[in-house]
Amino acid sequence: MSAGIGVRGWCVAVAAALRTIGVVVAVMVVVQSLIVVQARPQDLVTGFHGMVDIIRRATPPDFSRLPDVAWPALETFDIAIFGTVAGVCMALPLAVLAAGNVTPSRWLYYASRATIGFTRAVPDLVWALFFVTAVGLGPFPGGLALAVHSIGMLGRLFAETIENMDMAPIDALSLTGASRAQVFSHGVVPSVLPSLLGIGLYRLDENIRSSLVLGFVGAGGIGFQLLTAMNLFQYREVSLLLIVIFVIVFATERLSAICRQRLA
Amino acid sequence: MLRISGLSHRYPNGMLALCDVDLDVRPGELLVVLGGNGCGKTTLLRCITRALAPTTGRVWLNDSPISQLAGEKLRRARLDLAMISQQANLVRRRSVLANVACGTLGRHRSWWTALGRLPRHELAAAHGHLRQVGLAHLATRRAGTLSGGQAQRAAIARALAQRPLAMLADEPVASLDPEAAEDIMRLLRRLAHDDGLAVLCVLHQVELAFSYADRVVGMRDGRVAFDRDRAELSRDTVQRLYLAAAA
Repeated sequence: MSAGIGVRGWCVAVAAALRTIGVVVAVMVVVQSLIVVQARPQDLVTGFHGMVDIIRRATPPDFSRLPDVAWPALETFDIAIFGTVAGVCMALPLAVLAAGNVTPSRWLYYASRATIGFTRAVPDLVWALFFVTAVGLGPFPGGLALAVHSIGMLGRLFAETIENMDMAPIDALSLTGASRAQVFSHGVVPSVLPSLLGIGLYRLDENIRSSLVLGFVGAGGIGFQLLTAMNLFQYREVSLLLIVIFVIVFATERLSAICRQRLA
Repeated sequence: MLRISGLSHRYPNGMLALCDVDLDVRPGELLVVLGGNGCGKTTLLRCITRALAPTTGRVWLNDSPISQLAGEKLRRARLDLAMISQQANLVRRRSVLANVACGTLGRHRSWWTALGRLPRHELAAAHGHLRQVGLAHLATRRAGTLSGGQAQRAAIARALAQRPLAMLADEPVASLDPEAAEDIMRLLRRLAHDDGLAVLCVLHQVELAFSYADRVVGMRDGRVAFDRDRAELSRDTVQRLYLAAAA
């Protein structure tokens, strides 16, 4: 009995020691991050006047520039639409090949997984620079960048959705004598379509935000306008652009949330 | 007629789940298979449908050697062999009618059925099958909203849409309340007696077997322990089957 208590005592002591080590390691990770990013909170206090000055110069927003902002805003929205739709179209077949439960071949499975992994690993900003070099400045390279990056993000989520679906109805359809294509279109597609649409809408929401940043590298849209206004110290125009961006992002987010709720 | 001869199946882990099973199911007959857990009942059905490839033995449905077929020929043969399971396994987001009409897909190889469309005349016929199982009023409902008993009847309607020669049922009443279970068993008996289907039904409920089966087969350790007409079967024989399985 005493030996049993002794073993239990050791276990408790080891667990306590591991917990302490865990806490120390977590604190060290946070501290090293503060050192690496050269965190200087006092600079925020001394720089406060500069921030106030910028805010003062940015108010009131220059609403007279609103007609000039409408087109870049539409461009931003359309870059995201193009990127999402093209991304979905390319991600869907890749996801089918990359889903272990429906893929027709192991080679295609690995090839599509690799493609999805690569397109996801390269950031959309890098894709934008790549396509700006290829097709020049403007919204088109932005749309292409979002499309290619979306393949990676959507492909992975689509494939996981297909892999996680209930296979029993699919197997039941196979046993009726339906062909592979029929089983796919009558069983797999209706089972996963609402989830895929939900993921697509979520991606549209993310692409709207990404398309704003892409403008900074010359890929068109309201981001490009924002960069230009900042470079020219047109802070009142900057504040107007920020309001427009907020409205676009908020409206898309709400719309996407409502649609996803209805699909659920 | 569904004919099974010398059917055996050994799983990759070496377990012999079926051993030299011989069985005939005649048209118009409801044959019930009884047996304890793990005695090979489900493996038997899976080998008949070729969801599992038998290690040895043959399965014929009339003149069609199902166990020898592959690819398109197997798909065509499966059309004659309907299967219902413990769960209805309907596509939850499609309508009941579409689910039932999906039972006919094996008859159609057109590109537009491969694109998710269903022939209009098959939808009309599916309505008839739903009427047959008493679900015509739920045709437009989403399959996911049906109760267990309704879903099981819809699965039977889908099986009927195949216009099969034989129907296999793997514990079709396991998840149903007693009234719904009786309902399903009555329906299976009617399909055998009135429509001339060969029905092979795996059950755990001995009382249902005594009430509805024409013939009862007992299985133990992957083998056929007895094969008798219901009228000749004693409750002691069935009890011994389960006692031996428990031991």
